[in-house]
Amino acid sequence: MSSGHPSSPAASPIPAHVSLPAPSVWPGLLALGLTLAAAGLVGSRVLSIVGAVLCVVGGIGWFLQVLPHDRHEDVSVDAKPVTIAVSHRKVSRMAAAQAPHRARLPLEIYPISAGIKGGLAGSVAMAVSAILYGVISHGSVWYPINLLGAVVYAQTEVSTAQISAFHIELLLVATVLHLTTSILVGLLYGAILPMLPRRPILVGGVFAPLVWTGLLYSVLDLIDPLLNQRIDWLWFLVSQVAFGVVAGLVVVRQVRVPTWQFPLAARAGIESPGMMHEVGEQNPPR
Amino acid sequence: MASESIALRVHKSPLHVVYECVATADHKKIGLMYIVYALLFLVVMGIEAILMRIQLSHANATFLSPEVFNRLFTLHGTTGVFFVAMPILFGFGNYLVPLMIGARDMAFPRLNAFSFWMTAFGGFFLYASFFAGGGLSQAGSAPDVGWFAYAPLTSPTFSPGHSTDYWTLSLLLAGVGSIGAAVNFIATILCMRCPGMTLSRMPLLAWMNLVMGGLILVTISPLTAAQLMLMADRYIGGHFFDTAAGGSVVMWMHFFWIFGHPEVYVLIIPCFGFVSEIVPVFSRKAMFGYPAMVAASVSIGFVSLGVWAHHMFTVGMPSYGNAFFVLTTMVVAVPTGIKIFNWLATIWGGKIRFATPMLFCIGFLFQFLIAGLTGIMLATAPFDWQLSASYFVVAHFHYVIVGGILFTIFAGFYYWYPKITGRMLNETLGKWHFWIFLIGFHLTFDFMHIPGLLGMPRRVYTYEAGRGWETWNMISSIGAIFQAAGILIFVYNMIVSYFHGALAGNDPWDAWTLEWATTSPPPDYNFAGVPAVRSRRPLWDIKHPDDPDWKYE
Amino acid sequence: MSASPAVMAGNDTPWVLPSRGRVGMISLIIAESAIFMIFVAAYIFYIGKSLDGPTPRQVLKIPIFITVCLLSSSLTMHWAIATLRKGKTASFNVFWLITLVLGAIFLAGTGREWQHLIYQEGFTIQTNLFGTTYYSLVGLHASHVTAGLIGLTIVAILGLAGKIKREHSERCEVFALYWHFVDAVWVVVFTVVYIVGR
Repeated sequence: MSSGHPSSPAASPIPAHVSLPAPSVWPGLLALGLTLAAAGLVGSRVLSIVGAVLCVVGGIGWFLQVLPHDRHEDVSVDAKPVTIAVSHRKVSRMAAAQAPHRARLPLEIYPISAGIKGGLAGSVAMAVSAILYGVISHGSVWYPINLLGAVVYAQTEVSTAQISAFHIELLLVATVLHLTTSILVGLLYGAILPMLPRRPILVGGVFAPLVWTGLLYSVLDLIDPLLNQRIDWLWFLVSQVAFGVVAGLVVVRQVRVPTWQFPLAARAGIESPGMMHEVGEQNPPR
Repeated sequence: MASESIALRVHKSPLHVVYECVATADHKKIGLMYIVYALLFLVVMGIEAILMRIQLSHANATFLSPEVFNRLFTLHGTTGVFFVAMPILFGFGNYLVPLMIGARDMAFPRLNAFSFWMTAFGGFFLYASFFAGGGLSQAGSAPDVGWFAYAPLTSPTFSPGHSTDYWTLSLLLAGVGSIGAAVNFIATILCMRCPGMTLSRMPLLAWMNLVMGGLILVTISPLTAAQLMLMADRYIGGHFFDTAAGGSVVMWMHFFWIFGHPEVYVLIIPCFGFVSEIVPVFSRKAMFGYPAMVAASVSIGFVSLGVWAHHMFTVGMPSYGNAFFVLTTMVVAVPTGIKIFNWLATIWGGKIRFATPMLFCIGFLFQFLIAGLTGIMLATAPFDWQLSASYFVVAHFHYVIVGGILFTIFAGFYYWYPKITGRMLNETLGKWHFWIFLIGFHLTFDFMHIPGLLGMPRRVYTYEAGRGWETWNMISSIGAIFQAAGILIFVYNMIVSYFHGALAGNDPWDAWTLEWATTSPPPDYNFAGVPAVRSRRPLWDIKHPDDPDWKYE
Repeated sequence: MSASPAVMAGNDTPWVLPSRGRVGMISLIIAESAIFMIFVAAYIFYIGKSLDGPTPRQVLKIPIFITVCLLSSSLTMHWAIATLRKGKTASFNVFWLITLVLGAIFLAGTGREWQHLIYQEGFTIQTNLFGTTYYSLVGLHASHVTAGLIGLTIVAILGLAGKIKREHSERCEVFALYWHFVDAVWVVVFTVVYIVGR
């Protein structure tokens, strides 16, 4: 380390005296008074009276200290300035985004609208297959809708006839749930499809639904046994795949846009030198 | 210079020192008083914990009576939250925030003194209950309703005498102090910054204290309100929590946890600040993702206000209520995860120095992660139905409070002790402290999860043999002894190093924030001339004029 | 000292920070609002849950007059500060005293209402849940009015003694924030107790 000239962070010239708040016993006395006043509630009332008197004394004392002007005392400043050694050593820089890292980040991505479109298209495909299931197995279009709504809105066991009937509140809940989830999953597809190495439709449309169905199949009995009894897992898988394939196909048909070429470092707020352009390169320092 | 001022301090008459403490309005002295006061109560609550661990170490123990056990866990919890964790963080905040933002003092120095004395008298008032009524030998009338004091346990019927009133009044007094301190922190951080110290250049510790201050305003106040209601019930015949008159005991739960849950964040957020100051210095890298860190802290603050009823899954809320609080609680994991990744990314590729402050921070990173994971488990309502009020919960929150908060506080002590006293803490003793405490911590709290999973409820004063709980409890109790030994080493280190430690100099760690730009200990006026800054690391800029930070921000 | 490259030499923009009194008072107001929020939540939760009478409709009369007094005191307070900022201390004193009187009328009105309820109606904090929540919420507000009146009185005395000058307008403004807060809380309490709760 090469020690250069001493330096100091001070902006203003060093004064001979500094005004600091004067010491004061009144705040402590007021606190003691309040405590004694409280103590009177669990002990002798005399304590409360003493406490109240102390509060008044402390309050007035404090008041006179700050009004009309804060009382200060001047402290003389030590003549010796604080020095900070200067080092001309350069720091090593982190290797920034090089080829191997870059390979994992897509150069082009789908716009957000692609994810939303894909999600909506997938939601239609899923709804069609689910309603098909309802009509074929129970003769009711409401059956799958009610089941979905029941995920958040069901208190007791109900009969199959009740599930097959129309319920406006379950329809609303199911619609909101279905659309929200579809759009979120669609956005996820839009974000990850460019990053999947090969056959994005196969991975997103078949593999992911299989994993998701398998996960739910294994745990749903623990989470919601009533719902579990009503699920036909084959149809469940079919509707998931329908969603995945349709959403994937819609997404990949959208036009890709280049990634935000704003450096990742700047977006993450990293301050490592060398990872971002220096502010002073074009403009002189402020 | 450091030795000179230490010598000066010794020469003052004791009476003068007492007057200085009582009358001072200096943020550094008040900060130190907070810290010393909190350490005193840390020892007290530690002794309470050891007594309880002895009682629980084997089945059918008779070391403590059930009554005494109830008082011990009530006081252990209350003391820990209100008279150890909060004061110690206020103390560090008081000492460091003005130094870090280049101010001469807090915004309201006398309010600062008042807040300290309110907190201090609140704690002494709570412990005065031991000497009231029955006196010390019968343990007086110390409160025994648990630290969250559920109604109707606190009603005059079930809690005659004044034991609950001691609890209520002491928390009211300390609450006034906390609100005063919070007002002071916010005003100081917003209004006392030195030229150039914009909000986006503030040290993260100052940011965290700002978030803590804001949280205190909206969390301690509900507690104060609830305590006022309880007082109304107990003293003038109100019916807030009186079921006989149609009152609701669940109201108390809601009000208490509206305070109680954000309170945990009040405690942990300044600790995030410690970690965010220490980790970069000992990794020799600037903090990774400063804006993300700030945003994550602020959003933790907001999210924490909407999660309280996850303490109440077993009360029987409607399923929408359960679902809401499950989701909000899980959302907390997102900003917290961002923080963990930011710290890891700061360490990543750095030139790491494994000094004691860094060791405690690394311990914190691991333990806080595990604590968060058990938190996510408990946030799942069906899981919580099974394990609520079991030792699993006790293990979970001690993982947060000891493994998270206490570890970072230790890190803070090792890091800033040289600044406060002018002398270094002994590094060898520090490493002994770290390893012994780490072993003790993991023995106690890792193994405490298991009796919880096996069904051991919290707050039982003893248990029957043959339930499979004995071994785990014995291991936990042995761990408590290790922890006590670690604390003793720490206390010994602080005392010995105060007199014989190596001289620290102004900047022993080669750090970058303004508190290291003045002498150790700092003079009364902090900085001779008011500093000016241009970046988040003002000392870096001075030390490296060829390569200053402000070129990159 | 001279060679310190990291120092901002010659700031173009002056370094302006918010006033600490104002920030401190706003923080205090946030804390106080949280206290009131809990009491208001308790009041709303317990509306109609009392096991026996009297009900709010039977005993409460809407206190229009004192409400008008309190709300207009905010206005006179505002004028008082505005005149002080211009240095007109005499009219400041007049407006300030009007504020004080209006506040005192409000407090006296609340006192009369309570006296009526307690001695004529026999309705106390112990009567039922409504009594508990009513007296605690209105009482909490009244205690804040009382604190405000003490502050108002001190400033009024100093003002009449000629001690309040233009340079004190900042401090008076900070105090005014508190008084406006007390008024705003009354709007909430009034709505909850006398409109929603009845």
